[in-house]
Amino acid sequence: MDKPRRYAKSHEWARLEDDGVVTVGISAYAVEALTDLVFMQLPEVGATVTAGESFGEIESVKAVSDLYAPISGEVVAVNAELPGKLETLGDDPYGSGWVIKIKPADVGQLETLLDQTAYDTLVGSESH
Amino acid sequence: MAADEALAHAAEQSGRVLMRLYGWRPDTVSLGGFQAFAETEQQPELAGWPIVRRPSGGGAIVHGSDLTYCLALPSTHPWGRRPEDLYAAVHGALVEELCHRGVAASMVDAEVAATVADDSFFCFDRRAFGDVVITAATAGAVAGGCKVLGSAQRRLAGVVLQHGSLLLRRHPSMTGAGSHAGLAEIIGGTGGDPAAVVVHWLERLAARLGGPLAERAGVSWTADDPDLSRRVNRYAGAAWLRRR
Repeated sequence: MDKPRRYAKSHEWARLEDDGVVTVGISAYAVEALTDLVFMQLPEVGATVTAGESFGEIESVKAVSDLYAPISGEVVAVNAELPGKLETLGDDPYGSGWVIKIKPADVGQLETLLDQTAYDTLVGSESH
Repeated sequence: MAADEALAHAAEQSGRVLMRLYGWRPDTVSLGGFQAFAETEQQPELAGWPIVRRPSGGGAIVHGSDLTYCLALPSTHPWGRRPEDLYAAVHGALVEELCHRGVAASMVDAEVAATVADDSFFCFDRRAFGDVVITAATAGAVAGGCKVLGSAQRRLAGVVLQHGSLLLRRHPSMTGAGSHAGLAEIIGGTGGDPAAVVVHWLERLAARLGGPLAERAGVSWTADDPDLSRRVNRYAGAAWLRRR
């Protein structure tokens, strides 16, 4: 069973793994809203990210959207295959479509994010 | 670019819809956010031109004979929820005005956009969803008519920024692939004066917003504004311009 995810209001998801690393991706709702994806810019391994600040960009045919770090920490892994295969974001947003992995500065920051129920409520309100 | 970003920040802070209209001095070429700077070296028409990079996507734009706009609004605004809604509002108002003048104008739909290569260097050679095109019976016109308005969005947390270029006339100093007909060449004599088109376009946009645009002319920020200075330093730097 997948570990529970938490979500930022900007639609990034975060999942705490057994090794203490937090995997980050883009929610299925956000990927669908982006539509046809054409380019993605990701940080480098070793970069420091700050909760609520942009760590990358994704371009669709309609807009460029910033990607926001759900928690602060150090980037320990980047899904380097993703920019060359953007359809993965839509095909498997919570699995092979992961974007970065963060060594958290404070794992407690995860508690400030939305749980699944709260995120579903957010998506419901934005869909109307 | 810094001023556009500052406008977006002001829109987010105030909860208001803000728009700025501007020209360029000196005339300048703006690259899309993801265009490789090396591509400019393959365009002999750009020799000697100042070049900047936008934070939004799309192709290169030659500024100087266009009207550039930037509109920013909170993400919670009805036009902010989906990218296509803001394009429809701003571009739809221009199509409405042009059609009112008897000009065959329309917005590019996804089907047409898919038939035109999107890797052209210049924005006005591309056909993206929402672009405003005018059907012109001129030889060599690209499929989908002559493009006169192209825009691009940057979606940030809490605010959406859309900026675009309305081609008023062909730039007198640009040649070759960088030269594109504007409103004056395409509709002049039949569709009226481009300046009048702009005025009425904005009136229609204001009507869609539900009220008149409160106009304030002149510079919105002073050169010593720390927030603007920080943004200017970022966009004026070589690292930003040559990020790709």
